[in-house]
Amino acid sequence: MKKILLVASAAAISLAASPGLAQTDWGSILSKHDGEAVNIMSIQDPFIDAVRKMSPQFEALTGAKVTTDGFGYDPLHQKEILACSQKDSQYDVLFIDGIWLGEFADAGCIDPVQDIWSDTDPKIIAWDDYVESFAGQAMWGDKKLCLPVAAYWQMVHYRKDLFDKAGLKPPTTLKETMEDAKFFTNNKDFPGVTGYAMNDQRGAAAGQQYFEWVYSAGGKPWVSNFPGSPAAYADQTPLLNSSESVSIVQFMKDMVAYGPPGVEQFAWDERYNAFAQGNVAMINAWSVQTPGLNDPKISKVAGKWDVAMMPHAEGKESIPPVGGWIMCLNKYSTRKEAAWDFMRWYASPEVHKAAVLAGAPPSRHSAFQDPEVQKAQPWVPTLYEAAKKAWMEGRPRHALTFEMIDAIGLQVNRAIIGEATAQEAMDKANGDVTKLLKDAGYIK
Amino acid sequence: MRFSVVDSIPGSRPKSQWDRESRERLIFLTPAVAYLFLLTVFPFLYSLYLSLYQVKLTRMDRKVFVGFDNYANLLTDSLFLHACLNIGIITGISIVIEIIFGFLAAKIFFALRFSRAGGILRSLSILPMMITPICIGLIFSYILNPTLGIANYLIKGAGLPPPGWLSDQTFALFTISLINSWQWTPFMMLLMLAGLMSIPTEHYEAAEVEGARWWHVARAIEIPAIKSVVLVGVILRVIDNLRFFDIVYVTTRGGPGASTEVVTLFAYKQDYQYFQIGYGSAAAVVILAMSIVITTFAAGYLRRAEGE
Repeated sequence: MKKILLVASAAAISLAASPGLAQTDWGSILSKHDGEAVNIMSIQDPFIDAVRKMSPQFEALTGAKVTTDGFGYDPLHQKEILACSQKDSQYDVLFIDGIWLGEFADAGCIDPVQDIWSDTDPKIIAWDDYVESFAGQAMWGDKKLCLPVAAYWQMVHYRKDLFDKAGLKPPTTLKETMEDAKFFTNNKDFPGVTGYAMNDQRGAAAGQQYFEWVYSAGGKPWVSNFPGSPAAYADQTPLLNSSESVSIVQFMKDMVAYGPPGVEQFAWDERYNAFAQGNVAMINAWSVQTPGLNDPKISKVAGKWDVAMMPHAEGKESIPPVGGWIMCLNKYSTRKEAAWDFMRWYASPEVHKAAVLAGAPPSRHSAFQDPEVQKAQPWVPTLYEAAKKAWMEGRPRHALTFEMIDAIGLQVNRAIIGEATAQEAMDKANGDVTKLLKDAGYIK
Repeated sequence: MRFSVVDSIPGSRPKSQWDRESRERLIFLTPAVAYLFLLTVFPFLYSLYLSLYQVKLTRMDRKVFVGFDNYANLLTDSLFLHACLNIGIITGISIVIEIIFGFLAAKIFFALRFSRAGGILRSLSILPMMITPICIGLIFSYILNPTLGIANYLIKGAGLPPPGWLSDQTFALFTISLINSWQWTPFMMLLMLAGLMSIPTEHYEAAEVEGARWWHVARAIEIPAIKSVVLVGVILRVIDNLRFFDIVYVTTRGGPGASTEVVTLFAYKQDYQYFQIGYGSAAAVVILAMSIVITTFAAGYLRRAEGE
């Protein structure tokens, strides 16, 4: 009975699909994999629930058994790299952060999907349906290596109830952001609320935050990396101590005064929890966390918030950060056929829409434009605007990404806690990153 | 009939018996030696070998021999040097706190040694030692959470300004040391309690007859009696602190800035986050060398102290 229900729901997905794929006959496309395992290694982010919810339908169609294991950010990176170095075949499908792709490609850990999709209907792959700013993170050079199925973009999340009460509009510039943050901090009309929580923790949190803001401040982290750059890695000479870079780090430092106590040690979860617990008026956060804010079990601000585009410096444009998880085929998998069947099924536009309605983040134009999705996730129009304006090379994606972001994050944090001025910290960051890149032969 | 020299020595055994015993010894020792070699000596030698290369785990085929460059870079790496300094400070603060509070606790449990409640409390007091450090780190990161933690809630309730336990660079290292001390004070307490229990009761009776006050008893009887066990405890704790990692990893990740960076965290990040296993191996070798030097020095000091 359960199996009949699952097959029926798989059929329902087909009916809910975009017009070109409404009649996809998965039974004739996918092979039978009775008893075969498809093991997926993923980040323990909220979208993993959607993967797990959808998997039984694939199992009903193919007879395969799908298992999805979730890990924290650093442990996942370690496990995936260590498994690759040992040519481990335990996991077949690897979700990797888009910014790790260069490292994984360099190490030869994944089979490029472009090499294996020739026999698949292009409407199932529908590469052009992926939003460009994230699709680019599944490519290395001109090659499409993975499927960009779990895209995140950042927006400002603000307390609409507080802003309405104060007669304020959400900020669009850095100056307005600071003014609004200052207004809410220690304001007797808004007790228990501070202005803005940022990712200030030393390391990846502060390092990534630098990249989240620098383009909207009109800066660029290295010579050839700017929004729309045709060859972002052509000249990687760092510009971390440019006036724009220093000014955005100074902005982060100044914002500490309007953050909750201990904000200097905040990373993604602390920032999000502070907002969800009603302690701050604004945060910028990845869109994967957005739906949870309406869940009264984990959020005290359900129904009281809204989203806006990331602020920018005066006279500059908002360049929202883009990130998320791309689905890759483990080079050392011994069940590649079943794994690939799962990947192309899960990533197809019709299943993607169903996954989005089950809680996954929209990654395709068709999902963003779908009325059902827009109704279920009212923040989608703003998110779509952010998605279209984001710059896919917002963070480095080569084999030194982890080290580079960590090195910058250490210095940004030093500036934030007052151990160094913003200029001193970014001079040091520039020197450290230059040495790193020179030692590895990325620059001369 | 010919006799060998060995055979002619009174009490010695024939050669064939020696051979048999040697073979037996070899058979019994081989598994242990092989185990040690495979799990200790070989990894160490391999680390030593890797430390001479610039190599990333993801591309072992591209390793470049750099000689002692990794060691030279370590000695000029401000983060590594800061980590060495930090671990010295953490060790110093922790051990002083552990000795002071361990001694006070040992005195209390010594006074309660004949009561059932004393036994129960003593058992309860060693619970922190039995919790894995990673859990302790998590527990304290919840307690000391600046917005949701109970510590600041209570401090604010008392009308005091809440400190940034782990977010303020002037507090963070001390906070980490306090957490470390909280876990290991019971260890010092147990050692000192054993030392106190070994003191003959006649010494206390004589002190009482002489009208000695508690600090006289502590200075003239108890401290000399427990000095050697405290030294053993200090040596063990110094060695233990050199591999101090979990609590920092969970609570601060070495921040704010580099204020709580420790050498093991430094090596871990090189090895398992950046996968720069050449540089990471060099850091690990330096940590091992530091351990050997400190242990040798401390053991020599202990021997001299025991001889006095």
